[in-house]
Amino acid sequence: MLDKRTKYLQIAFNRSLEEVKEMIGMLPPSEKILIEAGTPLVKKYGGRGIAALKTWWSGKIQSPGYIVADLKTMDRGSREVEMAANAGASAATCLGLAPIETINEFVKNCEMVGVDSMVDMMNVEFPFEVLQKLKKLPDVVVLHRGADENERNREKQIPHDQIHRIKGTYNKVLISVAGGETLRDVIRTYFNDSDIAVIWKSFYEKPENTAILAGEFLKLVK
Amino acid sequence: MIPEKIKKYILTVILKKLENAASQDPNFDKSSLGQIKEILSQSKYSDKTLEEAKKLDLMLPTLDQSLVEMKAKTPLIQNIGHVLQTRKLEKRKKYLHVALNSTLEEAREIISQLPISDRILIEAGTPLIKIYGIDAVSQIKKMAPPGTYIVADNKCADLAAREVEMVANAGANASTCLGVAPIETIDSFIEECQKFNIDSMIDMMNVESALAVLKKLKKLPDVVMLHRGVDESEFSKEKQIPYYQIKQIKGNYDVLVAVAGGDTIKEVQRAVFNDADIVVVWKNFYQSSTETAKLVESFLREIK
Repeated sequence: MLDKRTKYLQIAFNRSLEEVKEMIGMLPPSEKILIEAGTPLVKKYGGRGIAALKTWWSGKIQSPGYIVADLKTMDRGSREVEMAANAGASAATCLGLAPIETINEFVKNCEMVGVDSMVDMMNVEFPFEVLQKLKKLPDVVVLHRGADENERNREKQIPHDQIHRIKGTYNKVLISVAGGETLRDVIRTYFNDSDIAVIWKSFYEKPENTAILAGEFLKLVK
Repeated sequence: MIPEKIKKYILTVILKKLENAASQDPNFDKSSLGQIKEILSQSKYSDKTLEEAKKLDLMLPTLDQSLVEMKAKTPLIQNIGHVLQTRKLEKRKKYLHVALNSTLEEAREIISQLPISDRILIEAGTPLIKIYGIDAVSQIKKMAPPGTYIVADNKCADLAAREVEMVANAGANASTCLGVAPIETIDSFIEECQKFNIDSMIDMMNVESALAVLKKLKKLPDVVMLHRGVDESEFSKEKQIPYYQIKQIKGNYDVLVAVAGGDTIKEVQRAVFNDADIVVVWKNFYQSSTETAKLVESFLREIK
Protein backbone atom coordinates (compact mmCIF):
# COMPACT_ATOMS: atom_id res chain seq x y z
CA MET A 1 0.00 0.00 0.00
CA LEU A 2 1.10 3.55 -0.67
CA ASP A 3 2.32 5.86 2.06
CA LYS A 4 0.70 9.31 2.15
CA ARG A 5 3.89 10.99 3.31
CA THR A 6 5.97 9.77 0.40
CA LYS A 7 6.25 10.97 -3.18
CA TYR A 8 6.27 8.36 -5.91
CA LEU A 9 7.43 8.17 -9.48
CA GLN A 10 5.33 5.89 -11.68
CA ILE A 11 6.84 4.68 -14.94
CA ALA A 12 4.43 3.41 -17.56
CA PHE A 13 5.32 0.71 -20.07
CA ASN A 14 3.25 0.36 -23.21
CA ARG A 15 5.29 -1.71 -25.63
CA SER A 16 6.83 -5.16 -25.77
CA LEU A 17 7.85 -7.25 -22.79
CA GLU A 18 11.41 -7.59 -24.11
CA GLU A 19 11.76 -3.84 -24.05
CA VAL A 20 10.35 -3.61 -20.54
CA LYS A 21 12.78 -6.20 -19.26
CA GLU A 22 15.72 -4.25 -20.61
CA MET A 23 14.43 -0.95 -19.28
CA ILE A 24 13.70 -2.25 -15.80
CA GLY A 25 17.33 -3.31 -15.68
CA MET A 26 18.36 0.33 -16.20
CA LEU A 27 16.25 1.76 -13.37
CA PRO A 28 17.63 2.45 -9.90
CA PRO A 29 16.11 0.02 -7.38
CA SER A 30 13.68 1.86 -5.10
CA GLU A 31 10.31 1.27 -3.52
CA LYS A 32 9.44 4.84 -4.45
CA ILE A 33 9.24 3.78 -8.07
CA LEU A 34 5.98 2.25 -9.24
CA ILE A 35 5.92 0.23 -12.43
CA GLU A 36 2.84 0.46 -14.62
CA ALA A 37 1.64 -2.16 -17.08
CA GLY A 38 0.10 0.26 -19.59
CA THR A 39 -3.25 -0.45 -21.26
CA PRO A 40 -1.77 -1.48 -24.63
CA LEU A 41 0.62 -3.82 -22.82
CA VAL A 42 -2.22 -5.41 -20.82
CA LYS A 43 -4.30 -5.82 -23.97
CA LYS A 44 -1.35 -7.38 -25.75
CA TYR A 45 -0.10 -9.80 -23.10
CA GLY A 46 -2.97 -10.07 -20.62
CA GLY A 47 -2.31 -11.28 -17.07
CA ARG A 48 1.02 -12.79 -17.98
CA GLY A 49 2.34 -9.35 -18.92
CA ILE A 50 1.47 -8.01 -15.46
CA ALA A 51 3.03 -11.08 -13.83
CA ALA A 52 6.26 -10.63 -15.81
CA LEU A 53 6.61 -7.00 -14.69
CA LYS A 54 6.00 -8.09 -11.11
CA THR A 55 8.74 -10.72 -11.28
CA TRP A 56 11.31 -8.44 -12.94
CA TRP A 57 10.71 -5.40 -10.74
CA SER A 58 10.56 -7.45 -7.52
CA GLY A 59 13.83 -9.12 -8.53
CA LYS A 60 15.41 -5.75 -9.14
CA ILE A 61 14.40 -4.17 -5.81
CA GLN A 62 14.70 -7.42 -3.82
CA SER A 63 11.23 -7.04 -2.31
CA PRO A 64 7.69 -7.18 -3.70
CA GLY A 65 7.53 -4.42 -6.35
CA TYR A 66 4.50 -2.16 -6.71
CA ILE A 67 2.83 -2.83 -10.08
CA VAL A 68 -0.03 -0.74 -11.43
CA ALA A 69 -2.31 -2.56 -13.87
CA ASP A 70 -3.70 0.19 -16.11
CA LEU A 71 -6.88 -1.71 -16.95
CA LYS A 72 -8.94 1.43 -17.67
CA THR A 73 -12.02 -0.54 -16.72
CA MET A 74 -15.26 0.63 -18.31
CA ASP A 75 -17.57 -2.19 -17.31
CA ARG A 76 -17.50 -5.75 -15.94
CA GLY A 77 -14.95 -4.57 -13.44
CA SER A 78 -14.86 -7.52 -11.10
CA ARG A 79 -13.21 -10.09 -13.36
CA GLU A 80 -10.52 -7.73 -14.56
CA VAL A 81 -9.62 -6.64 -11.06
CA GLU A 82 -9.45 -10.22 -9.86
CA MET A 83 -7.23 -11.15 -12.80
CA ALA A 84 -4.87 -8.22 -12.10
CA ALA A 85 -4.64 -9.11 -8.41
CA ASN A 86 -3.91 -12.73 -9.23
CA ALA A 87 -1.18 -11.64 -11.60
CA GLY A 88 0.48 -9.71 -8.77
CA ALA A 89 -0.72 -6.14 -9.33
CA SER A 90 -0.79 -3.79 -6.32
CA ALA A 91 -3.18 -1.35 -7.98
CA ALA A 92 -5.69 -1.28 -10.82
CA THR A 93 -7.29 1.59 -12.74
CA CYS A 94 -10.89 2.32 -13.73
CA LEU A 95 -12.08 5.10 -16.04
CA GLY A 96 -13.75 8.07 -14.40
CA LEU A 97 -15.85 8.15 -17.58
CA ALA A 98 -17.42 4.82 -16.68
CA PRO A 99 -20.95 4.62 -15.26
CA ILE A 100 -20.95 5.50 -11.54
CA GLU A 101 -22.23 1.97 -10.79
CA THR A 102 -19.13 0.54 -12.46
CA ILE A 103 -16.76 2.77 -10.47
CA ASN A 104 -18.51 1.87 -7.22
CA GLU A 105 -18.21 -1.81 -8.06
CA PHE A 106 -14.58 -1.33 -9.03
CA VAL A 107 -13.63 0.38 -5.74
CA LYS A 108 -15.44 -2.33 -3.79
CA ASN A 109 -13.78 -5.15 -5.75
CA CYS A 110 -10.32 -3.64 -5.34
CA GLU A 111 -10.84 -3.51 -1.60
CA MET A 112 -12.03 -7.10 -1.61
CA VAL A 113 -8.98 -8.48 -3.40
CA GLY A 114 -6.57 -6.12 -1.63
CA VAL A 115 -5.31 -3.83 -4.39
CA ASP A 116 -5.31 -0.02 -4.47
CA SER A 117 -8.09 1.47 -6.58
CA MET A 118 -7.12 4.24 -8.99
CA VAL A 119 -9.73 6.24 -10.88
CA ASP A 120 -8.40 7.70 -14.11
CA MET A 121 -10.01 11.06 -14.84
CA MET A 122 -8.93 11.29 -18.48
CA ASN A 123 -11.45 13.37 -20.48
CA VAL A 124 -13.55 13.99 -17.33
CA GLU A 125 -14.36 17.67 -17.16
CA PHE A 126 -15.05 17.85 -13.45
CA PRO A 127 -13.29 15.03 -11.58
CA PHE A 128 -14.47 16.48 -8.29
CA GLU A 129 -18.08 15.88 -9.25
CA VAL A 130 -17.42 12.24 -10.06
CA LEU A 131 -15.90 11.75 -6.61
CA GLN A 132 -18.93 13.35 -5.00
CA LYS A 133 -21.21 10.74 -6.55
CA LEU A 134 -19.24 7.71 -5.34
CA LYS A 135 -20.30 5.55 -2.41
CA LYS A 136 -16.71 5.10 -1.36
CA LEU A 137 -13.58 6.99 -2.36
CA PRO A 138 -10.85 5.32 -4.38
CA ASP A 139 -7.29 5.24 -3.01
CA VAL A 140 -5.88 7.31 -5.86
CA VAL A 141 -7.28 9.81 -8.37
CA VAL A 142 -5.31 10.04 -11.63
CA LEU A 143 -5.45 13.37 -13.42
CA HIS A 144 -4.16 13.50 -16.95
CA ARG A 145 -4.74 14.07 -20.58
CA GLY A 146 -4.79 11.27 -23.11
CA ALA A 147 -1.70 10.68 -25.22
CA ASP A 148 -3.69 11.08 -28.47
CA GLU A 149 -5.10 14.37 -27.15
CA ASN A 150 -1.61 15.66 -26.35
CA GLU A 151 -0.39 14.71 -29.76
CA ARG A 152 -3.21 16.31 -31.70
CA ASN A 153 -4.24 19.22 -29.54
CA ARG A 154 -1.66 20.97 -27.41
CA GLU A 155 -3.94 23.60 -25.99
CA LYS A 156 -5.79 21.60 -23.38
CA GLN A 157 -4.25 21.64 -19.90
CA ILE A 158 -4.20 19.42 -16.84
CA PRO A 159 -6.73 20.95 -14.45
CA HIS A 160 -4.44 21.96 -11.59
CA ASP A 161 -7.24 23.78 -9.80
CA GLN A 162 -9.00 20.42 -9.62
CA ILE A 163 -6.08 18.98 -7.64
CA HIS A 164 -6.47 21.61 -4.92
CA ARG A 165 -10.19 21.17 -4.82
CA ILE A 166 -9.92 17.41 -4.46
CA LYS A 167 -7.10 17.61 -1.89
CA GLY A 168 -8.96 20.25 0.08
CA THR A 169 -12.09 18.17 0.39
CA TYR A 170 -10.88 14.60 0.43
CA ASN A 171 -7.62 14.46 2.33
CA LYS A 172 -7.40 10.69 2.26
CA VAL A 173 -7.15 10.44 -1.50
CA LEU A 174 -3.75 10.41 -3.20
CA ILE A 175 -3.35 12.35 -6.42
CA SER A 176 -1.46 11.05 -9.39
CA VAL A 177 -0.60 13.33 -12.30
CA ALA A 178 0.54 11.98 -15.62
CA GLY A 179 2.38 13.70 -18.40
CA GLY A 180 5.63 15.02 -16.90
CA GLU A 181 8.69 14.13 -18.93
CA THR A 182 11.43 16.18 -17.32
CA LEU A 183 12.65 16.56 -13.76
CA ARG A 184 11.17 20.05 -13.78
CA ASP A 185 7.75 18.66 -14.76
CA VAL A 186 7.99 16.10 -11.99
CA ILE A 187 8.90 18.75 -9.40
CA ARG A 188 6.12 21.00 -10.62
CA THR A 189 3.70 18.12 -10.25
CA TYR A 190 4.63 17.83 -6.57
CA PHE A 191 4.33 21.57 -6.00
CA ASN A 192 0.77 21.13 -7.11
CA ASP A 193 0.23 18.78 -4.21
CA SER A 194 0.23 15.53 -6.07
CA ASP A 195 1.65 12.35 -4.63
CA ILE A 196 2.51 10.37 -7.74
CA ALA A 197 4.03 11.61 -10.99
CA VAL A 198 3.52 9.34 -13.99
CA ILE A 199 5.97 9.39 -16.88
CA TRP A 200 6.01 7.30 -20.02
CA LYS A 201 6.98 9.08 -23.17
CA SER A 202 10.68 9.67 -22.55
CA PHE A 203 11.11 5.93 -22.41
CA TYR A 204 10.57 5.52 -26.09
CA GLU A 205 12.61 8.47 -27.07
CA LYS A 206 15.61 7.95 -24.79
CA PRO A 207 15.38 5.20 -22.16
CA GLU A 208 18.65 6.32 -20.55
CA ASN A 209 17.07 9.68 -19.81
CA THR A 210 14.31 8.04 -17.85
CA ALA A 211 16.87 6.15 -15.78
CA ILE A 212 18.69 9.46 -15.09
CA LEU A 213 15.40 11.17 -14.32
CA ALA A 214 14.51 8.39 -11.88
CA GLY A 215 17.91 8.78 -10.20
CA GLU A 216 17.50 12.55 -9.86
CA PHE A 217 14.01 12.05 -8.55
CA LEU A 218 15.21 9.71 -5.82
CA LYS A 219 17.85 12.21 -4.67
CA LEU A 220 15.15 14.84 -4.51
CA VAL A 221 12.64 12.93 -2.41
CA LYS A 222 15.07 11.46 0.08
CA MET B 1 8.03 -21.41 -44.33
CA ILE B 2 5.47 -20.87 -47.03
CA PRO B 3 5.93 -22.92 -50.20
CA GLU B 4 6.82 -20.64 -53.09
CA LYS B 5 3.86 -21.66 -55.21
CA ILE B 6 1.36 -20.91 -52.48
CA LYS B 7 3.06 -17.61 -51.89
CA LYS B 8 2.62 -16.82 -55.56
CA TYR B 9 -1.04 -17.70 -55.37
CA ILE B 10 -1.56 -15.55 -52.31
CA LEU B 11 0.26 -12.64 -53.88
CA THR B 12 -1.87 -12.90 -57.00
CA VAL B 13 -5.01 -12.75 -54.89
CA ILE B 14 -3.65 -9.82 -52.91
CA LEU B 15 -2.68 -8.02 -56.08
CA LYS B 16 -6.21 -8.36 -57.41
CA LYS B 17 -7.70 -7.05 -54.17
CA LEU B 18 -5.26 -4.15 -54.08
CA GLU B 19 -5.91 -3.20 -57.67
CA ASN B 20 -9.57 -3.22 -56.84
CA ALA B 21 -9.01 -1.02 -53.79
CA ALA B 22 -6.78 1.31 -55.82
CA SER B 23 -9.44 1.78 -58.49
CA GLN B 24 -11.90 2.91 -55.84
CA ASP B 25 -9.63 5.18 -53.87
CA PRO B 26 -7.66 7.87 -55.71
CA ASN B 27 -5.40 8.40 -52.68
CA PHE B 28 -4.38 4.75 -52.57
CA ASP B 29 -0.63 4.26 -52.26
CA LYS B 30 0.20 2.31 -55.39
CA SER B 31 3.81 1.63 -54.50
CA SER B 32 2.97 -1.76 -52.99
CA LEU B 33 1.35 -2.84 -56.28
CA GLY B 34 4.61 -2.44 -58.16
CA GLN B 35 6.48 -4.32 -55.46
CA ILE B 36 4.15 -7.28 -55.63
CA LYS B 37 4.26 -7.35 -59.42
CA GLU B 38 8.00 -7.45 -59.22
CA ILE B 39 8.01 -10.34 -56.76
CA LEU B 40 5.55 -12.18 -58.98
CA SER B 41 7.64 -11.63 -62.09
CA GLN B 42 10.69 -13.06 -60.34
CA SER B 43 8.90 -16.18 -59.20
CA LYS B 44 10.12 -19.27 -61.02
CA TYR B 45 6.68 -20.85 -60.83
CA SER B 46 4.55 -20.73 -63.92
CA ASP B 47 0.86 -19.98 -64.06
CA LYS B 48 0.28 -23.68 -64.25
CA THR B 49 1.63 -24.22 -60.73
CA LEU B 50 -0.60 -21.39 -59.76
CA GLU B 51 -3.64 -23.40 -60.85
CA GLU B 52 -2.38 -26.31 -58.82
CA ALA B 53 -1.94 -24.15 -55.77
CA LYS B 54 -5.51 -22.99 -56.15
CA LYS B 55 -6.69 -26.58 -56.07
CA LEU B 56 -4.97 -27.15 -52.77
CA ASP B 57 -7.40 -27.05 -49.92
CA LEU B 58 -6.52 -23.53 -48.88
CA MET B 59 -8.68 -22.90 -45.87
CA LEU B 60 -8.81 -19.32 -44.72
CA PRO B 61 -6.96 -19.78 -41.43
CA THR B 62 -3.98 -21.31 -43.24
CA LEU B 63 -4.05 -18.44 -45.63
CA ASP B 64 -4.20 -15.89 -42.84
CA GLN B 65 -1.38 -17.67 -41.07
CA SER B 66 0.78 -17.54 -44.18
CA LEU B 67 0.00 -13.88 -44.53
CA VAL B 68 1.05 -13.20 -40.97
CA GLU B 69 4.32 -15.06 -41.56
CA MET B 70 4.84 -13.31 -44.84
CA LYS B 71 4.24 -9.93 -43.32
CA ALA B 72 6.79 -10.61 -40.67
CA LYS B 73 9.36 -11.56 -43.32
CA THR B 74 8.55 -9.10 -46.05
CA PRO B 75 8.24 -5.56 -44.76
CA LEU B 76 7.51 -4.53 -48.35
CA ILE B 77 4.04 -5.92 -48.20
CA GLN B 78 3.17 -4.82 -44.70
CA ASN B 79 -0.53 -4.36 -44.01
CA ILE B 80 -1.71 -5.71 -47.32
CA GLY B 81 -2.65 -9.02 -45.72
CA HIS B 82 -5.59 -7.21 -44.19
CA VAL B 83 -6.94 -6.37 -47.59
CA LEU B 84 -7.32 -10.06 -48.20
CA GLN B 85 -8.50 -11.31 -44.86
CA THR B 86 -11.04 -8.62 -44.18
CA ARG B 87 -14.71 -9.19 -44.48
CA LYS B 88 -16.86 -6.11 -44.05
CA LEU B 89 -20.44 -5.85 -42.84
CA GLU B 90 -23.21 -5.38 -45.37
CA LYS B 91 -26.02 -2.89 -45.07
CA ARG B 92 -29.58 -4.23 -45.00
CA LYS B 93 -28.46 -7.46 -43.39
CA LYS B 94 -29.33 -8.21 -39.78
CA TYR B 95 -26.53 -9.56 -37.65
CA LEU B 96 -26.32 -11.25 -34.28
CA HIS B 97 -23.15 -10.42 -32.44
CA VAL B 98 -22.19 -12.97 -29.80
CA ALA B 99 -19.86 -11.57 -27.15
CA LEU B 100 -17.66 -14.06 -25.35
CA ASN B 101 -16.50 -12.86 -21.97
CA SER B 102 -15.63 -15.69 -19.63
CA THR B 103 -12.76 -18.02 -20.59
CA LEU B 104 -11.21 -19.37 -23.77
CA GLU B 105 -12.30 -22.91 -22.84
CA GLU B 106 -15.87 -21.70 -22.69
CA ALA B 107 -15.44 -19.78 -25.91
CA ARG B 108 -14.43 -23.03 -27.59
CA GLU B 109 -17.45 -24.81 -26.15
CA ILE B 110 -19.93 -22.21 -27.30
CA ILE B 111 -18.36 -21.75 -30.74
CA SER B 112 -18.60 -25.48 -31.37
CA GLN B 113 -22.34 -25.33 -30.70
CA LEU B 114 -23.10 -22.35 -32.92
CA PRO B 115 -24.72 -22.88 -36.31
CA ILE B 116 -22.63 -21.64 -39.25
CA SER B 117 -23.90 -18.40 -40.76
CA ASP B 118 -22.40 -15.22 -42.14
CA ARG B 119 -24.92 -13.34 -40.00
CA ILE B 120 -23.18 -14.35 -36.78
CA LEU B 121 -20.38 -12.13 -35.54
CA ILE B 122 -18.14 -13.43 -32.79
CA GLU B 123 -16.60 -11.06 -30.28
CA ALA B 124 -13.52 -11.48 -28.14
CA GLY B 125 -14.85 -9.54 -25.13
CA THR B 126 -12.87 -6.98 -23.14
CA PRO B 127 -12.26 -9.25 -20.13
CA LEU B 128 -10.89 -11.98 -22.42
CA ILE B 129 -8.51 -9.53 -24.07
CA LYS B 130 -7.31 -8.17 -20.75
CA ILE B 131 -6.88 -11.65 -19.27
CA TYR B 132 -5.30 -13.48 -22.22
CA GLY B 133 -3.98 -10.51 -24.14
CA ILE B 134 -4.31 -10.23 -27.90
CA ASP B 135 -3.99 -14.01 -28.06
CA ALA B 136 -7.70 -14.08 -27.14
CA VAL B 137 -8.49 -12.64 -30.58
CA SER B 138 -6.27 -14.97 -32.59
CA GLN B 139 -7.40 -18.00 -30.57
CA ILE B 140 -11.07 -17.23 -31.11
CA LYS B 141 -10.40 -16.68 -34.80
CA LYS B 142 -8.83 -20.12 -34.95
CA MET B 143 -11.74 -21.75 -33.10
CA ALA B 144 -14.40 -20.16 -35.28
CA PRO B 145 -15.35 -21.54 -38.72
CA PRO B 146 -13.11 -20.13 -41.49
CA GLY B 147 -14.16 -16.69 -42.61
CA THR B 148 -16.09 -15.82 -39.43
CA TYR B 149 -16.31 -12.11 -38.72
CA ILE B 150 -14.37 -11.45 -35.50
CA VAL B 151 -14.86 -8.36 -33.36
CA ALA B 152 -12.13 -7.37 -30.92
CA ASP B 153 -13.86 -5.50 -28.11
CA ASN B 154 -10.71 -3.69 -27.07
CA LYS B 155 -12.68 -0.59 -25.96
CA CYS B 156 -9.88 1.75 -26.91
CA ALA B 157 -9.64 4.84 -24.68
CA ASP B 158 -6.24 6.22 -25.73
CA LEU B 159 -3.25 5.34 -27.95
CA ALA B 160 -5.58 4.23 -30.75
CA ALA B 161 -2.90 3.61 -33.38
CA ARG B 162 -1.16 1.01 -31.26
CA GLU B 163 -4.33 -0.87 -30.36
CA VAL B 164 -5.80 -0.94 -33.85
CA GLU B 165 -2.59 -2.28 -35.38
CA MET B 166 -2.44 -4.97 -32.72
CA VAL B 167 -6.01 -6.22 -33.17
CA ALA B 168 -5.81 -6.05 -36.98
CA ASN B 169 -2.64 -8.13 -36.91
CA ALA B 170 -4.38 -10.68 -34.70
CA GLY B 171 -6.97 -11.13 -37.44
CA ALA B 172 -9.94 -9.12 -36.17
CA ASN B 173 -12.45 -7.75 -38.69
CA ALA B 174 -13.56 -4.96 -36.37
CA SER B 175 -12.25 -3.08 -33.36
CA THR B 176 -14.10 -0.99 -30.75
CA CYS B 177 -13.34 2.45 -29.30
CA LEU B 178 -15.12 4.19 -26.44
CA GLY B 179 -17.45 7.04 -27.34
CA VAL B 180 -16.46 8.73 -24.05
CA ALA B 181 -12.80 8.80 -25.14
CA PRO B 182 -11.25 12.12 -26.21
CA ILE B 183 -12.38 13.10 -29.72
CA GLU B 184 -8.72 13.06 -30.82
CA THR B 185 -8.56 9.38 -29.88
CA ILE B 186 -11.78 8.50 -31.74
CA ASP B 187 -10.62 10.37 -34.85
CA SER B 188 -7.28 8.60 -34.79
CA PHE B 189 -9.03 5.26 -34.16
CA ILE B 190 -11.27 5.61 -37.24
CA GLU B 191 -8.32 6.65 -39.40
CA GLU B 192 -6.28 3.67 -38.26
CA CYS B 193 -9.13 1.23 -38.83
CA GLN B 194 -9.42 2.50 -42.40
CA LYS B 195 -5.70 2.11 -42.85
CA PHE B 196 -5.87 -1.51 -41.73
CA ASN B 197 -9.12 -2.12 -43.58
CA ILE B 198 -11.15 -3.22 -40.57
CA ASP B 199 -14.53 -1.93 -39.43
CA SER B 200 -14.53 0.76 -36.74
CA MET B 201 -17.13 0.46 -34.00
CA ILE B 202 -17.78 3.27 -31.52
CA ASP B 203 -19.18 2.03 -28.25
CA MET B 204 -21.51 4.68 -26.84
CA MET B 205 -21.60 3.32 -23.31
CA ASN B 206 -22.28 6.09 -20.80
CA VAL B 207 -22.44 8.68 -23.59
CA GLU B 208 -25.32 11.07 -23.12
CA SER B 209 -25.81 11.92 -26.78
CA ALA B 210 -24.32 9.66 -29.44
CA LEU B 211 -25.35 12.19 -32.08
CA ALA B 212 -23.29 14.90 -30.41
CA VAL B 213 -20.21 12.66 -30.50
CA LEU B 214 -20.75 11.78 -34.18
CA LYS B 215 -21.13 15.45 -35.04
CA LYS B 216 -17.64 16.22 -33.70
CA LEU B 217 -15.84 13.50 -35.66
CA LYS B 218 -13.77 14.11 -38.78
CA LYS B 219 -14.92 10.85 -40.36
CA LEU B 220 -17.78 8.52 -39.55
CA PRO B 221 -17.22 5.10 -38.01
CA ASP B 222 -18.70 2.01 -39.68
CA VAL B 223 -20.78 1.04 -36.66
CA VAL B 224 -22.26 2.90 -33.70
CA MET B 225 -22.97 0.73 -30.70
CA LEU B 226 -25.64 1.78 -28.24
CA HIS B 227 -25.92 0.33 -24.79
CA ARG B 228 -26.19 0.31 -21.12
CA GLY B 229 -23.11 -0.96 -19.37
CA VAL B 230 -23.35 -4.49 -18.09
CA ASP B 231 -22.72 -3.32 -14.57
CA GLU B 232 -25.33 -0.68 -15.17
CA SER B 233 -27.97 -3.15 -16.24
CA GLU B 234 -27.19 -5.35 -13.28
CA PHE B 235 -27.40 -2.64 -10.69
CA SER B 236 -30.01 -0.27 -11.98
CA LYS B 237 -32.48 -2.16 -14.05
CA GLU B 238 -34.60 0.82 -14.89
CA LYS B 239 -32.09 2.18 -17.42
CA GLN B 240 -33.37 1.27 -20.87
CA ILE B 241 -31.69 1.00 -24.22
CA PRO B 242 -32.64 4.23 -26.01
CA TYR B 243 -34.35 2.69 -29.04
CA TYR B 244 -35.49 6.04 -30.41
CA GLN B 245 -31.83 6.95 -30.89
CA ILE B 246 -31.42 4.24 -33.53
CA LYS B 247 -33.67 6.00 -36.03
CA GLN B 248 -32.24 9.36 -35.06
CA ILE B 249 -28.69 8.22 -35.83
CA LYS B 250 -29.57 6.35 -39.00
CA GLY B 251 -31.65 9.27 -40.21
CA ASN B 252 -28.66 11.59 -39.97
CA TYR B 253 -25.66 9.41 -40.65
CA ASP B 254 -24.77 6.58 -42.96
CA VAL B 255 -23.67 4.11 -40.30
CA LEU B 256 -24.79 0.73 -39.00
CA VAL B 257 -26.27 0.70 -35.52
CA ALA B 258 -25.60 -2.07 -33.06
CA VAL B 259 -27.63 -2.46 -29.90
CA ALA B 260 -26.06 -4.21 -26.97
CA GLY B 261 -27.92 -6.09 -24.32
CA GLY B 262 -30.44 -8.71 -25.25
CA ASP B 263 -30.93 -11.90 -23.29
CA THR B 264 -34.05 -13.29 -24.93
CA ILE B 265 -35.24 -13.62 -28.51
CA LYS B 266 -38.01 -11.13 -27.63
CA GLU B 267 -35.46 -8.46 -26.77
CA VAL B 268 -33.50 -9.25 -29.92
CA GLN B 269 -36.66 -8.97 -32.04
CA ARG B 270 -37.52 -5.69 -30.39
CA ALA B 271 -34.12 -4.24 -31.27
CA VAL B 272 -34.41 -5.37 -34.90
CA PHE B 273 -37.97 -4.02 -35.06
CA ASN B 274 -36.54 -0.70 -33.90
CA ASP B 275 -34.13 -0.69 -36.84
CA ALA B 276 -30.95 -2.05 -35.25
CA ASP B 277 -28.59 -3.69 -37.77
CA ILE B 278 -26.66 -5.67 -35.20
CA VAL B 279 -27.87 -7.06 -31.90
CA VAL B 280 -25.23 -7.91 -29.34
CA VAL B 281 -25.89 -10.77 -26.96
CA TRP B 282 -23.60 -11.89 -24.19
CA LYS B 283 -22.58 -15.32 -23.23
CA ASN B 284 -22.31 -14.85 -19.50
CA PHE B 285 -20.47 -17.29 -17.35
CA TYR B 286 -23.60 -18.09 -15.39
CA GLN B 287 -25.48 -19.11 -18.52
CA SER B 288 -25.13 -22.44 -20.23
CA SER B 289 -23.70 -22.50 -23.75
CA THR B 290 -26.78 -24.37 -24.94
CA GLU B 291 -28.91 -21.42 -23.94
CA THR B 292 -26.81 -19.08 -26.09
CA ALA B 293 -26.78 -21.52 -29.01
CA LYS B 294 -30.57 -21.73 -28.85
CA LEU B 295 -30.89 -17.97 -28.94
CA VAL B 296 -28.65 -17.86 -32.00
CA GLU B 297 -30.74 -20.54 -33.72
CA SER B 298 -33.98 -18.70 -33.11
CA PHE B 299 -32.41 -15.50 -34.39
CA LEU B 300 -31.42 -17.17 -37.67
CA ARG B 301 -34.86 -18.73 -37.95
CA GLU B 302 -37.03 -15.76 -37.01
CA ILE B 303 -35.11 -12.75 -38.21
CA LYS B 304 -34.25 -12.62 -41.87
